[in-house]
Amino acid sequence: MKEQSLGEFEELVLLMVAAQHDEAYGVSILEGLEDKLEKSLNISAIHVVLKRMEDKGFVKSRFGGITGERGGRRKKFYVITALGKRMLDQQYTLRTGIYQQIPKISFG
Amino acid sequence: MHPHPPKYPLRFLRWFCREDYLEEIEGNLLELYEHQYEESPAQAGRKFFWNVLWHFRPAFIRSFKVDYTSTQPAMIRHNFILAFRNFQRYKSSFFINLIGLSSGLACALLIYLWVNDELSIDTFNDKDSQLYQVMKNNSYQGNINTDESTPGLLASTLAEEMPEVEHAVSVFPPADYTLKGILAIDETYVKARSKFADHDFFKVFTYPLLQGDKDQVLSDPSAVVISEALANNLFHTTDDVLGKTVTWKGDQHSGDFRVAGVFENPPANATIQFDIVFSYELMQQVYDGFENLGDNGPSTYVLLKENTDVARFNDKIINFLKTKDEEASTTLFTRPYSDRYLYSDYENGVLVGGRVAYVQLFSIIAIFILLIACINFMNLSTAKASRRLKEIGVKKAIGADRKALFTQYLGESMLLTSLSLILALILVLLILPQFNHITGKQLTLHFDRNIILSITGITLFTGFIAGSYPAVYLSGFNPVSILKGGGFHGRSKSSGGEIWARKGLVVFQFTISILLTVSVLVVYQQMTFIQSKHLGYKRDNVITFTAEGKIAEEPETFLSEIRKIPGVVNASYMDGDLINIHNFSTSKALEWEGKNPDDMTNFYMLRTGYDLVETLHMELKEGRSFSRNFSAESSGVIFNEAAIESMGLTNPVGKTVKVFGEEKQIIGVVKNFHFESLYENVHPFYFMLSDRAENMMVKIEAGTAQEILTQLGEFYQAFNQGVPFDYRFLDEDYQKLYASENRVAVLSRYFAGITILISCLGLFGLAAFTAERRLKEIGIRKILGSSSLNIIRLLSADFTGMVLIAIIVALPISYLIAQSWLQDFAFSIELKWWYFAGAGLAALLIAWFTVGLQTVKAARVNPVECLKDE
Repeated sequence: MKEQSLGEFEELVLLMVAAQHDEAYGVSILEGLEDKLEKSLNISAIHVVLKRMEDKGFVKSRFGGITGERGGRRKKFYVITALGKRMLDQQYTLRTGIYQQIPKISFG
Repeated sequence: MHPHPPKYPLRFLRWFCREDYLEEIEGNLLELYEHQYEESPAQAGRKFFWNVLWHFRPAFIRSFKVDYTSTQPAMIRHNFILAFRNFQRYKSSFFINLIGLSSGLACALLIYLWVNDELSIDTFNDKDSQLYQVMKNNSYQGNINTDESTPGLLASTLAEEMPEVEHAVSVFPPADYTLKGILAIDETYVKARSKFADHDFFKVFTYPLLQGDKDQVLSDPSAVVISEALANNLFHTTDDVLGKTVTWKGDQHSGDFRVAGVFENPPANATIQFDIVFSYELMQQVYDGFENLGDNGPSTYVLLKENTDVARFNDKIINFLKTKDEEASTTLFTRPYSDRYLYSDYENGVLVGGRVAYVQLFSIIAIFILLIACINFMNLSTAKASRRLKEIGVKKAIGADRKALFTQYLGESMLLTSLSLILALILVLLILPQFNHITGKQLTLHFDRNIILSITGITLFTGFIAGSYPAVYLSGFNPVSILKGGGFHGRSKSSGGEIWARKGLVVFQFTISILLTVSVLVVYQQMTFIQSKHLGYKRDNVITFTAEGKIAEEPETFLSEIRKIPGVVNASYMDGDLINIHNFSTSKALEWEGKNPDDMTNFYMLRTGYDLVETLHMELKEGRSFSRNFSAESSGVIFNEAAIESMGLTNPVGKTVKVFGEEKQIIGVVKNFHFESLYENVHPFYFMLSDRAENMMVKIEAGTAQEILTQLGEFYQAFNQGVPFDYRFLDEDYQKLYASENRVAVLSRYFAGITILISCLGLFGLAAFTAERRLKEIGIRKILGSSSLNIIRLLSADFTGMVLIAIIVALPISYLIAQSWLQDFAFSIELKWWYFAGAGLAALLIAWFTVGLQTVKAARVNPVECLKDE
């Protein structure tokens, strides 16, 4: 099995999926990220990343019920998997590890 | 009320997007659109468009390969069932299509076999692509004559001086002739056709040797190579025959020879057939004057090295003879050996074709016949479309797309074509012996890879042509209007174009039919004309046979006995062959008083015995023929009118001319007679007396052939022991001059018949359909007082119009074709108006008859029957 990896944008999307636990779908992720990053993103990029991460097993999806909104189209909700969570944890450990090695000198 | 996003981007998204992502993506895009719409509708639309476009990337584009695996078997079964049900329901159009397509396919297959065979002729040599024949162009009186008789030393000189030449051989006599003779061992006599050939002959041509070494067999003038068949006839085996001695008795040479080799019989697709090969050295001993580069006689074949640029080689040899002799008026070129059969006609040094014209003609006929059968299918399926409208409407309404319907209808036509193929194959097997008889070939239908591929190809092509138009047409209906209107007129767009197309196709069919009918009439008339034309001599009741052995030496002794047989009217002989005359002398050989030294006329010449003029009933214009009552007849000469005219002599009888330097006296003038085929004008010609015979002629009383042949045979055997008696009739020989024309005549008659049959089948189907469609109209007309006759006229008017247009189109074309064919004959019939009128009228009558069967039935219908359900 090949080494699983997580790109920067993938990590952001995955974080958002995990943050919006059980309520994350395309538009909500897009709007959440736009809100945090304070810049506009393209929904297609979100879709591609979600598809890729689902293939890798970091997220799993389910369809919601039909509502009167969205022209009657169902929402596809994403939830983070245990594997996805482990990837996030690893990334977090890696980054904080390196961060803590930064010498405490003045950056003034 | 939700806002509607732009239509086209959405449609585009739905078209390309993978199904498993479509709902999510579409939903998200719609939601975003709604959010943005509240701020700015125009911007939302633009954004939506870009969002869709951004999704057009590999991750979301669906696979356009259609996956049939799940539904296909069921669909195929469904389509099969539907097709068969349709065949069953519309039996008449099913049978019309089946008969039309199967006879069309059968014709096409037969023609395919024939064409294939023609194309394979003379291609049997292993090194076919390197094998060329050297041809000669001779300029003479501003004309260029092309022939294959080349100087005797050409082969060896070319082989020495041209590095491109791997081997070169001389063969004598040239291609189509052989020297006949009898081969004997002990008491067995066998007739054989002989050739002389250079020592590399068996290396250049692929006649595999069963016995003997191909390097050695022709190196010794006392050795011969014989065919497998000859060896079997003489020795009843092909083994252990090397070294045996055989005795040859031929026209030109005789003697004992040692068998040095046995070659496999030349294959059936070889035009040059022979039984025995003598060495070229022997020929040089037998004939004088083949030892330089100025003479002409044998044909020359070269085997060029691989990858030789033939065009450059031709440039090199064009003036080869002039470099050896400045006086030479001939130029050389090569042609592929396997082209000699199909491309043999040269006009003024330029290749103009040959038998390949027939190959092309029949291929075109095959295509037309298939096309006509296909047109029937198209017309009938589109005509009966109205009856299938509901089926199409329902299918479309429950989700069949155009492609599925297209496949279904194409499949239906493929199925029908396949059924027709089975029938066609049976037909071909049944007809093949008859076809072989007409074409003079031995074609067989054996299924090797090539033929299976070709048959499949022809069938699929036919099925596709037949089915594509109806499939496009039927699958294009709009389901809503069909189901709403429920009828034919519920169709959305004009049916006028479609009706015109159908009419155009019928016109096309009949045009072809009429073209073929005129051709058949013209060919038939010309053939009858040739058979019945007075040739200047009578060829009926003349038995002819080759003079052999003792007969060739003492023809007079033999004939004096023959004349005693009751029923024999007269008998004579000739030292040559009247029908295939090969002797002719250039003007140099003949001198007369007042001859213009520049006169270059060729004179044909035949040496004969006494009584030939009488035996063949030629007419004397002046003077007398050779007679035993005069002495020194061998110094007499008889000219024909054309010769006297070209020499410009008045009162010719009694004058003297010089033939090959010898003084001869003109004793008579015969009226012109056709010694060549009617492709040629009558050429200047003269007779001289000979005491050697090659062909015997016996004129008998009509109706006595059987008894006379028996007596003749007995006497022949007694006179010429051990030589088989082979006779022919002179009129049969004459017919052979036109063998290929006769074959074309017979074949085109059949093909024309089939074309007309298929066209009429189609018309029959269309008429039946029209009559049925207009049944209610007919009912109403009858109630309002129309007579049956009126109704017949009404129904046939359409078809009459179509056939009339076809006649107008076909007649000028057929006139041009007939004219160009007849131009090849020096003597031909004139095209009479009634050939064309007759063909047109025949087409019209046949069409009326066909349509009439249907219309009469329709006109006699009881109006109550067809109107009661309204």
